[in-house]
Amino acid sequence: MMDRNSIKDTGILEQYLLGELSDKQMTEVENILKQDQELREYFLAMEDDFEKLAIENAIPPPIHIKKSLLTAVASTKTLDDSDKVISIKTKDRRSIYMTIAASFALLFALSSGWLYNQWQTARNTIKTVQNQTVDFQNRINTLENQLNETNKWYTAINTPNTIQLILKGNKISPNSTAITYVNHTEKTVILNAKGLVKLDQNKTYQMWADVDGEMIDMGIVASNQDMIAMKYIDNAASINITIEPAGGNDHPTVERLISNVFL
Amino acid sequence: MQDNLGLIKRLQNQDSTALSSIYDQYSGALYGVILRICKNEEQAQDLLQETFLKIWQKAHQYDPQKGKFFTWSYRIAKNISLNAMRKTSKLIQNEDLSVYENKEVNENQIDILQLNGSLKLLDPHHQKALELVYFNGLTHREAHKEMDVPLGTFKSYIKQALKKLRETYQKELFLLWIILEKMI
Repeated sequence: MMDRNSIKDTGILEQYLLGELSDKQMTEVENILKQDQELREYFLAMEDDFEKLAIENAIPPPIHIKKSLLTAVASTKTLDDSDKVISIKTKDRRSIYMTIAASFALLFALSSGWLYNQWQTARNTIKTVQNQTVDFQNRINTLENQLNETNKWYTAINTPNTIQLILKGNKISPNSTAITYVNHTEKTVILNAKGLVKLDQNKTYQMWADVDGEMIDMGIVASNQDMIAMKYIDNAASINITIEPAGGNDHPTVERLISNVFL
Repeated sequence: MQDNLGLIKRLQNQDSTALSSIYDQYSGALYGVILRICKNEEQAQDLLQETFLKIWQKAHQYDPQKGKFFTWSYRIAKNISLNAMRKTSKLIQNEDLSVYENKEVNENQIDILQLNGSLKLLDPHHQKALELVYFNGLTHREAHKEMDVPLGTFKSYIKQALKKLRETYQKELFLLWIILEKMI
């Protein structure tokens, strides 16, 4: 910081008085003056000198300026007052804005509630629909499987190479009828066991092929299926169905033969 | 010359009668400065009014701790005038590039603008230095170039001028005191 004498020498106080300094410099000078009583008195004397100089060189302005100034001041005062009125109005307006904003907020809250409700309903509906879709999908799958199965059987039995043979029940089971489809080219045998009389739980139908007098197992007739693929046996002379204990038998119980058909 | 702080306080409280008193007190001195800066009576009158309006509006910013009220008012008057001059010279340049500054001053005005009082008792270069910075609104940097002397020299001109001025005022005060004594 500059000392008192250097401040006097630099002429900074004169420049300060004349308003030539930047805001920052002005603040600095003001701070220095605040702390230094003697310097403040020195500056005050300088101010006095300049003021006298100005007064000595005063030029009286035309009288109308004062009148015009006071009129202008009065009108700015009125303006200030009207500013106040405006500011109250602004407050009013602000409260109107607040009311509008509050209304919108309420409307928004209500519509949000309604939308939430709608959303929940929609969600439940979607859930139901999704469940139904899964259900439908399952049913379609089942149907598809069934169709595939049916197609398979249909294709299998509906070719020119397939021979259809009816197995009629003898006197042991006079009401039974079974149909077999034999394809020697593809070497397949399909049995439609729908017409066979239902057996007890501990019994089962079993199919046999007669090859040179020997009965060869073609498989157990599953009780829960309508169409069953059986084993194809080469050089079979006839197809026979016997009633056997559940689980099947190694050799046919000839006494229990219910039907046979020659190929 | 003590500031009338009561009057200034009233001004700060937006009392227009206080403004009226302050106008009576300072308008001549400030008009002297303004007119010497802009050298155009019509403009100077407008600027004087503008100055007092600003004094009125910014009165609350005046801090007596930082200096005298007149110094504060002087700075306002000077700034307003210099700003107006800058605008005017810009306008003139824009309208007609061949005219740079409107420095026409008629003879009546020259009479008015002549400096009076103690200043006339000073040496011509001291007079000039004070005139430039105080009445023409030049900065120290502009004024020393105008006088074609180094800045340091110019600063000492100002200092010496002020010192001489002080001595003159003290003499006047002494004479005044003697006259008053005699009258009593």
